[in-house]
Amino acid sequence: MISFILRRLASAVPTLFIVVTISFFLMRFAPGGPFNLERPLPPQTMANLMATYQLDQPLWRQYVHYLSNAVTGDFGPSYIYKDNNVAQLIGKGLPYSIELGLYALLFAVIGGVIAGTIAALRQNSILDFTIMSVSTLGVTVPNFVVGPVLTLVFAIGLAWLPAGGWGDGSMRYLILPMIALALPQLAVFARLTRGSMIEALHTDHIRTAKAYGLPARTVVVTHAMRGAMLPVVSYLAPCAAALLTGSAVVETIFTIPGVGRYFVLGAINRDYTLVMGTVILVAIFVIVFNLLVDILYGLLDPRVRHD
Amino acid sequence: MADTNETILAVRGLKVNFSTPDGTVDAVKGIDLDVRTGETLAVVGESGSGKSQTMMGIMGLLAKNGTVTGSARYRGQELVGLSPKALNGVRGSKITMIFQEPMTSLDPLYTIGRQIAEPIVHHRGGTFKQARARVLELLELVGIPEPGRRIDSYPHELSGGQRQRVMIAMALANEPDLLIADEPTTALDVTIQAQILDLLKSLQKRFGMAIVLITHDLGIVKHFAERVAVMRRGEVVEQGTTADIFERPQADYTKMLLAAEPSGRKAAPADNAPIILEGRDVCVDYAIGGGFFTRGNAVFRAVDKVTLRLREGQTIGVVGESGSGKSTLGRALLRLLPSSGYYRFGTTDISGFDRGQMRPLRRALQLVFQDPYGSLSPRRTVGEIITEGLHVHEPALSRADRDRRAIEALKEVGLDPASRNRYPHEFSGGQRQRIAIARAMILKPKVVILDEPTSALDRSVQGQVIELLRDLQRSHGLSYIFISHDLSVVKAMSDYVIVMKNGKIVEEGDTDGIFDAPREPYTRTLIGAAFNV
Repeated sequence: MISFILRRLASAVPTLFIVVTISFFLMRFAPGGPFNLERPLPPQTMANLMATYQLDQPLWRQYVHYLSNAVTGDFGPSYIYKDNNVAQLIGKGLPYSIELGLYALLFAVIGGVIAGTIAALRQNSILDFTIMSVSTLGVTVPNFVVGPVLTLVFAIGLAWLPAGGWGDGSMRYLILPMIALALPQLAVFARLTRGSMIEALHTDHIRTAKAYGLPARTVVVTHAMRGAMLPVVSYLAPCAAALLTGSAVVETIFTIPGVGRYFVLGAINRDYTLVMGTVILVAIFVIVFNLLVDILYGLLDPRVRHD
Repeated sequence: MADTNETILAVRGLKVNFSTPDGTVDAVKGIDLDVRTGETLAVVGESGSGKSQTMMGIMGLLAKNGTVTGSARYRGQELVGLSPKALNGVRGSKITMIFQEPMTSLDPLYTIGRQIAEPIVHHRGGTFKQARARVLELLELVGIPEPGRRIDSYPHELSGGQRQRVMIAMALANEPDLLIADEPTTALDVTIQAQILDLLKSLQKRFGMAIVLITHDLGIVKHFAERVAVMRRGEVVEQGTTADIFERPQADYTKMLLAAEPSGRKAAPADNAPIILEGRDVCVDYAIGGGFFTRGNAVFRAVDKVTLRLREGQTIGVVGESGSGKSTLGRALLRLLPSSGYYRFGTTDISGFDRGQMRPLRRALQLVFQDPYGSLSPRRTVGEIITEGLHVHEPALSRADRDRRAIEALKEVGLDPASRNRYPHEFSGGQRQRIAIARAMILKPKVVILDEPTSALDRSVQGQVIELLRDLQRSHGLSYIFISHDLSVVKAMSDYVIVMKNGKIVEEGDTDGIFDAPREPYTRTLIGAAFNV
């Protein structure tokens, strides 16, 4: 088990390297630059700025420079948020994004699995059709629609909850953004669970469990659900990585000071280093969660145990 | 068998039907059956006869679209119409079941110890820890080696036979009155089949439970059951004692089933008949272990120095259990997979032939597969399927000529030539096997390797396919290599037999010699298992 984890972590190094390399050059080949403003800067100012940030150097040298700094944990200065370097920006925003993302993840997984299981057990009933229609809606309606609608109804109309901001970080502030963030994922979990539950309920070993007079609860929870959770667990890794690294849309709508905004702002402003920082952040989350999920998978399914 | 007079399960007017988009299908049409204490009742029928659905209906295990009506009383208690909850008082304690698929009938995610303990804990109370001693006892009873270690194994770590033993342990856990065994040995090798049936028989003697054996195989019924009920199309056509059914069958269907046991012998070709296909010192190795980048360092020898000479007009039967290398040998002889050895087709040395050199010879060397469902493309008409080889081997043929050949080939295998415009799914298993044979015959081959061509078929259909293959052999002077685990079919088809085990030839000789006076213990076990369980 330990050697499995170590091997996986070692294989993360080349993965990260490839991710960094590709996104570095992609970013640079995009037209424009961090200092191309609407009103062009005087050429001399521009040249000074470029020299300060070493953007006048050949591309390969900048790349080597970035890599060697990144290895030591220095992800460079942000060109736009000049008071902070990239590491500080992410360090400040990440706790907010993680906290909100964690709630959203729990909500999506628990809600989705329960809804999907109910739909599977009542296959082709009204309840099943309702759950599946709502979850189709959840997948298709973008959260820049869901967010404002939630605000309109629960914050402005009913005035039950605050419309935005982090406030004191209490649950009241988190409920609406959490729902907006979780809804599409909850819908995916519901659909995944329903599909694999229906399949699991038709397996031969479920017939065995019924033939041996095991109570319905044991048949469903102990035997069908454990097997049905395997595909759900697989989806957990990309989902967790996406939710915990924040969402630009939701954080902007609800004015959450997380890191999600930096993806979009960084890209629009050609803030090369900020984009690189967020890309590396997401890559690390994806790698770590994939590893965690593989370990979890082994615990659930003895056939793929890593020993 | 104490007190055989008391009826423990009385089935009266039992019906099972399924509602499908095409209307209601009556799977069981009102049948009567009685099971008495300690006896074995065999319910025999071909696929679709409703034999399994009868028991599934009684046990409340039908698919969602199925309904059961009528009456099934277990010691006076009506089971039909009982709620699942009430039924759970009987299922798994008084009446237990084992199934055909030992591979999938156990939950892959739990240890076998836990799965055997589940019905104990559920029906008798207590904890899993307390049940462990009983589970060990049961594993010992069903002959699982090292029960102390095996109790914590997962199903995938056991062989098929062992898994069926685990199922039997589970079935015995609560000392049932009645054990329903639904095709318990169909998925197993013959020698394992015999062991499982012996085990069931001895456990029955010891514990006195009644057994309902659901099977399509009359062979195992004869030595196992006291009474037989023959089912066809949802009805019981005949029931009686085993002796009566076998010696004085009344219904035509029963007579037909009994006659369908393959019979007849094939005469050997003349001693001076030329050799048409030869493989000398055939070896096939598979690399095991290793991943995408790493070469596996271990080698598994699937076929180990096998020599085989097929004469014109001869049929060599290759028998062996799964994993014995018999199918691999067939493919190696046709040069379809990398293998070492010396190969000769007619007078041509084909040992070093590559794919391109083999192609013109392929026409004369045909292969017919086991699975009539999997080996025919579902999206092409029968005509397209059987003429495909003509495109490669006789590209000069006109469309009309090809069609004429297709008609000829279909007639030859006993199918309506009009079927060439239909699709495979419109045909039954036996008809599909005929299509697969027509596909080979249209090329007018010299050698046909038949890989389990009758294994997926019901006995009555099997007999017809064997008859067809023998006719084709006579009229075209074909040579066959007939690969099968089914010894009764091999006996009827071949004049020479090779017995394989672990990739090696254990014994070979004339069919009569092998079956009447087998020398090797392994051959004796195989024959014993197949012919007098």
